[in-house]
Amino acid sequence: MSTPGMNASSGSPGSSNPEYVTARVRARRGVLFDDDEYSKLVRMSPAEIARYMEESEYEQEINALGSRHSGVDLIEYALNRNLARHFDALLGFAEGQLYDLIARYLRKFDAWNVKTVFRGVYTDADSEAVETDMIRAGEFDDALINRLLEAGTVEDVVTVLDGTMFGDAVDAAFEDFQESETLVPLENAVDRAFYEQLLGTLPSGEAIDLYREFLEAEIDFRNVRNALRLARSGAEIDPGEYFIDGGRLFSASEMTTLVENTDELVARIRESRYGTKLSEPLDELEAADSLIDFERALEGVLLRYSKQLGNVHPLSICPVVAYILMKEREVTNIRAIARGREAGLSETAIEQELVIL
Amino acid sequence: MAEDVKPTRKNLMAIEDRIELSERGHDTLEQKRDGLIMEFMDILDQAQDVRNDLNEDYETAQRKLNMARAMEGDVAVRGAAAALKEHPEITIQSKNIMGVVVPQIESSKVKKSLDERGYGLLGSSARIDEAADAYEELLETIILAAEVETAMKKMLTEIETTKRRVNALEFKLLPDLYTNQEYIEQKLEEQEREEIFRMKKIKEKKEEAEAEEAAAAEAAAEAADADADAVAVDE
Repeated sequence: MSTPGMNASSGSPGSSNPEYVTARVRARRGVLFDDDEYSKLVRMSPAEIARYMEESEYEQEINALGSRHSGVDLIEYALNRNLARHFDALLGFAEGQLYDLIARYLRKFDAWNVKTVFRGVYTDADSEAVETDMIRAGEFDDALINRLLEAGTVEDVVTVLDGTMFGDAVDAAFEDFQESETLVPLENAVDRAFYEQLLGTLPSGEAIDLYREFLEAEIDFRNVRNALRLARSGAEIDPGEYFIDGGRLFSASEMTTLVENTDELVARIRESRYGTKLSEPLDELEAADSLIDFERALEGVLLRYSKQLGNVHPLSICPVVAYILMKEREVTNIRAIARGREAGLSETAIEQELVIL
Repeated sequence: MAEDVKPTRKNLMAIEDRIELSERGHDTLEQKRDGLIMEFMDILDQAQDVRNDLNEDYETAQRKLNMARAMEGDVAVRGAAAALKEHPEITIQSKNIMGVVVPQIESSKVKKSLDERGYGLLGSSARIDEAADAYEELLETIILAAEVETAMKKMLTEIETTKRRVNALEFKLLPDLYTNQEYIEQKLEEQEREEIFRMKKIKEKKEEAEAEEAAAAEAAAEAADADADAVAVDE
C-alpha cells in the first residue's frame, strides 16, 4: 500500500506487470466458490456455513475472528476481511500503470471506510466498533486509518482526509453538513470523488478503452439506479445533484427531466446500448413495484460484462476487474445465504437472490 | 340490614329519596354502559384491522430488512441506520369518548424522503430504501395501534366499572333500599294498627269505668232514698 488515497506506486506506464498479475488472478479465480458449492451452502445452517468456510479459502479469517464473533456476524466479518486480504494482495503485486488501474477501482473501499468513520463519529460509536466495520481493501494505509479512527468529530475527519482524493470534496461539503446536520452531503461528496477519479486521466490503449467502457457502464448503471430510486421516492430532490459524470447514457439535465417521467426513463434505457441486456429486467420493473430485482439484474449484467472483457483481453486490467467483481459477488452471495438462512428464508428465495455466472 | 334501620317516617322519606336517586342513576349508568359498549365495538373493529395491519407490516419490514442485511451486509444497513439525524417525534393529546379520556397520538417525521434519511444516495441501494420505507410504514402502524389499543383498554376498564356500578345498584343497593322501605312501611303500619287497638282499648276501659261509676252513683242514690224512707217511717 502507498501514500494515503493516492496512486503513488503507480509508477510509469511501462513498468506494468500484467502477465504476473493475471496469472495470480487466474489462480485466485480458481478457488472461488462454484455453483455446486453454492447449492451445498444454501442447504446449510449458519453454523455449518461457518464450518464449511473454515475448511476453505476463508480458514484464516474464520480462525482469526472465531473468538470475537459468532454466527452470521462471524461469517460476514470473515468475508469482509478475506475480501480485503485478496484485494490488498492485488495492489501488492501489481506495478506501474496496472497498479493505478486496479487502485482506482478498489478506492471504493476507501470511500466505504471514510463513510464508515463519518457515521461512527456522527453517532459517537467507539472506534473499535468502527474499525470492525471497515473493509481494508482500498489504498489507505494503516497509519491513515488509525488517524481516522482517532478523530473525535466530523471536522477532525475532514482534516485528516486533507491531501487524500476525498480531501477537497469533503472540505467543500462540510459547510452543507453544518447547515443540514446530516451526513448526506459528506457521503455524497465521498462517493462522487470516487466516481470522478475512476475515469480521470485514463491512459489510452485497446484494453484500457474496454476498461473505460466498463467503468462508464458502471457509472451509467449507478445513475439509472439512482434515477429510478428518485423517481419512485417522489421526493422533491434535484436529481442533478445526484448525477455522476462520466456515463454515456444521459446527462445531468436529461436525468432531471427523465426522473419526472418513469416511462420515458425506462424507454430511454431500452433504446440505449444496454437495452438488449436489460430488456427482461425492465419488463419486470414495469410489472412489479420493486427496484430490487432490477438492481440485481444490473449487477448480473455488469458481472457478465466484466467477465467477457477479461476473455477478450486476458493480459490486461480486464481479467483483474472481472476477478474483483466475481470476488465481491462471492462475498455477497455467501453473506446472502448465511443471512437468509438465519432469517429462515426458503432455499428457493435465497437462490433467487444469488447472482451466479 | 332492615333491622338496623329505625322504622321512622323520617327514615322512610330518606329511603324513598335514595331510591328515586338510585333508580335515576341506574338508568343513566345503564345508558352509559350501552353507549360505551357500542363505542367499544367500533373501536374493537378498528383495533382488529390495525392489529392485522401491524402483523403484516412487521412481517414485510422484517423481510425487507433481512433481505437488505443479506445483500448489502449488516454493516451497511447499520451504517445507513446510524446516519439518521432527525428521529420521529410523537405528541400525545387526549379526547373524550362518553366520559372516557383516551389518548390521541400525533406523529411527525416518521415518513422521510430519500434525502432526509441521512445516508448518501450515491453509495446506497434500493434494498436499503425499501427496508427504511417498510420500517417507516411499520412505525406509523405501531403509533396508530398504540392509540387504538390504549383507547380500547381504557374503554374496556370503563365498561367494567360501569357494569359493576349498574350491578351494584341493581342487585344490591336498590333491593336493600326496597327491603328497608318495605320494612319501615310494615313497621309503621303495625305501629298504627297497635295505636288504633290501644286507643280502642282505652276507650273501652274508659267507658267501662264511667259505667261503673254511674252504677255506683245510682246505687248510692238508691241507698240514700231507702234510708230517708226508713227515717220517715220511724218518726
